[in-house]
Amino acid sequence: MLILQQLISGLMIGGIYVMVAVAFTLTIGMLNFLNFTIPALFMLSGMVAWGLTTVGVHWALALLGGVATATFASLIVERFTYRYMRVRYGDATEHALPLVSSLGFLIIFEHLVLVILGSDPQRFPTPFTSADFHLGKLIIGIPQLVSLVLALAIVWGLSIMLKRTRVGRALRSIAENPDAATLMGVSVNYIVPIVFVITGLMAGIAGMLFTLNYADINAYMGDNVAAKAIAGMVIGGLGNIWGAIAGGLIVGLTEVMAIHFFGADIVKIPIWGLLLLILLVRPSGLFGHTAIGKGKF
Amino acid sequence: MTDSVLSFQAVSKNFSGLRVVDEVSFDVARGSRTALIGPNGAGKTTVFNLISGVYPIDDGKILLDGVDITRLPDRERINMGISRSFQNIRLMPHLSAIENVMLGQHARARKLGSLLFPLGWLPGNRWASEAADALAQAGLATYPGEVVANLPYGVQKRIEVVRAMMSDPKVLMLDEPAAGLNEKETGELQLLLEGASRRGVTLLVVEHDMQFVRSLCDHVVVLNFGKKIFEGPSSEVHRDPGVLEAYLGSEAVGDAA
Amino acid sequence: MSGYWTGIVAILCFNIVVAYSVFLPAAAGQLNLGAAGFVAIGAYTSGYLSTDVGLAMWLTIPIAALATGAVAFLISFPMLRTRGVYMVLATLAFAEIVQGIYINLEIFGAAAGYPVAAFAELDIIAPITILVILFVVFLMATRFGLSMRAVHDDERVASLFGVNTRMTKVAAFTLGGVIAGIGGAIWAHQFNYVEIQHFNILLSTFVLLYVLIGGTQTPYGPLVGAVFFTLLPEFLRVSNEWRFVIFGVIIVLMMVVRPEGLVTRTLVERFYGLFWRRGRTAVADR
Repeated sequence: MLILQQLISGLMIGGIYVMVAVAFTLTIGMLNFLNFTIPALFMLSGMVAWGLTTVGVHWALALLGGVATATFASLIVERFTYRYMRVRYGDATEHALPLVSSLGFLIIFEHLVLVILGSDPQRFPTPFTSADFHLGKLIIGIPQLVSLVLALAIVWGLSIMLKRTRVGRALRSIAENPDAATLMGVSVNYIVPIVFVITGLMAGIAGMLFTLNYADINAYMGDNVAAKAIAGMVIGGLGNIWGAIAGGLIVGLTEVMAIHFFGADIVKIPIWGLLLLILLVRPSGLFGHTAIGKGKF
Repeated sequence: MTDSVLSFQAVSKNFSGLRVVDEVSFDVARGSRTALIGPNGAGKTTVFNLISGVYPIDDGKILLDGVDITRLPDRERINMGISRSFQNIRLMPHLSAIENVMLGQHARARKLGSLLFPLGWLPGNRWASEAADALAQAGLATYPGEVVANLPYGVQKRIEVVRAMMSDPKVLMLDEPAAGLNEKETGELQLLLEGASRRGVTLLVVEHDMQFVRSLCDHVVVLNFGKKIFEGPSSEVHRDPGVLEAYLGSEAVGDAA
Repeated sequence: MSGYWTGIVAILCFNIVVAYSVFLPAAAGQLNLGAAGFVAIGAYTSGYLSTDVGLAMWLTIPIAALATGAVAFLISFPMLRTRGVYMVLATLAFAEIVQGIYINLEIFGAAAGYPVAAFAELDIIAPITILVILFVVFLMATRFGLSMRAVHDDERVASLFGVNTRMTKVAAFTLGGVIAGIGGAIWAHQFNYVEIQHFNILLSTFVLLYVLIGGTQTPYGPLVGAVFFTLLPEFLRVSNEWRFVIFGVIIVLMMVVRPEGLVTRTLVERFYGLFWRRGRTAVADR
């Protein structure tokens, strides 16, 4: 029974990892860009929301403000990393430029938050800390359950959008062959920011759900989650959205189980070990090969 | 049969179902200046890539001096005496001109002692002065220290040829060496290649400039759609009906005729 | 020199050495985001040899370097099968696994850390650092350095000209490991205490940034990058957090203005040209 309880909490935290993993996998798949600002966007969402509540904003509005900030921050990153490089050098995926810039932005955002909101761990005044229901002996947190469902629904909606809509098709054509897409009249300047908006929304909403459910937040809260999300992305195969969903959940489960059986200190080894193994043995991930990541970047 | 240094025997290559090279056979005579010509997409560059080992071949055999090199990895083939230049310049953009040329010496300097020899610290050393001399002979004496990405196209093009000559090859393969060069540069290139030929280097040249081919080469192999359609002395190629037909409608007709 | 500045210079030496450990693979086109893992191995090895075995420092440091190099050599074969984003992630995973292992090893004090007996003054650390710099500058001037840069620029063509690209990359990665081991040993003997928490992704990230911002085209890039970013905070009279913000802003601006790093080939050539133009053309005219 205890195991089942662990399984449930693994899935719950896995839902958060899924959203962040999708944010990672989308930028890699579309732009061949490992976007290290994603942990900062995740954190901005939570910390800005908390900051807003301290000046008297209603918690729901504050959370929305957090997500909006994350999305806006993501667009700033686009402006200074991706677009500039592409305009100036023709190809932003040459060298490690966007990767390095995104590390720069990670440092900027995290430390701006430290400067403005302080370095102490905070507690978000979440309205439903103890809204659980009991299923036999199992305790299931309603907000966590809602989050998991919401996370999966959003990712599902995203994949529908990529498949069915005009914008989605334009995005995929850029991912497959940027030059051909440009020739066919897809405007890169208009499409690429959309990737960053989605990234910001995904990371921001994930941060919001995390803040609502676990309440404990600080300026570095994104780093740990992002590490797990990256592991999930690799397990699912770089650039593969459905793979990221499965990978995120697998990582959530592995983490909770490893903590349960071996303690918190050991959890790094199975997760990163699995990631390394997959990278070396089956770099396209567990579920076939939608993977991008060609050549240098 | 004359003494052939390179022998291409019924070689075929497919790219995702498309037969790019179709049972092509030809021999390159030792010391000859052979041209490989044909319309765009005929498979000339692919033939170069197969000889130098960029791709494995699907069928057939490649012999160098009677030795089967079909299965040899690319970095071993340069040891055997095959060297080449590229259609699109593929110099190392962040290296200087002389360093690019010294890379061409690599096949002769693979012992540990040579690998750990500080080329950059001892200015007048054997390798550096050899490379500088080679650049000077090609009329490029003013550029040795420049990073090649900053050099003009025609200069880069000739540095590629110099680099390819540095391994002391038996067969020097040049992929459109004269493309994009002006008249003066083409003349210098021709002198450079004739010099190499006099030293006994066999030349195998892909080139569109028929003027250049006729004044440099003595033997011509014509490809079309991956098949060999002509092989013979360069004085006869413009009289061959098959060749004329292949070129018909393209601007090269006037040149070839 | 005051104690404060002695500490700064010691950190500077550590940063320079670790930057060079990342530079060598980077010069051959491999991005290594796992420096912390190699540094940790070097630090624990030298610490163990010093405290538990009782070896003198002139033995602990080279043995730590060789041990780390051996680990780097062994993992380089699977690691170098990956490229681009995959290699960044694989090296990151390696460092995290190393951290995960050491934090659970009781003989090294697990999370509490591990004391190191011998203390290295600056008069030991500084010469070692200078030797590392000279070694890398020398290596990049050799034909092996030339092949590393050729592999970085165009692996295919390098191979066609006879460069054994795989062994070149393995050698660069392994030598990077050796130097990282030296960096770890410097850390262990300077602070007399090894805590695995220090060898985290932040260390790997910052070191990689020193190298990429300094520039990977010449062996002087990592030196300039490490010196710049180690000393810059000392001259900024603001709080620690603001220093990091400024650090981040500089990184973003650098990538916009000078994406190939502070020190480029062209810059070095121009610099030489100021002094030795006549000597250089003399070589060419012969």
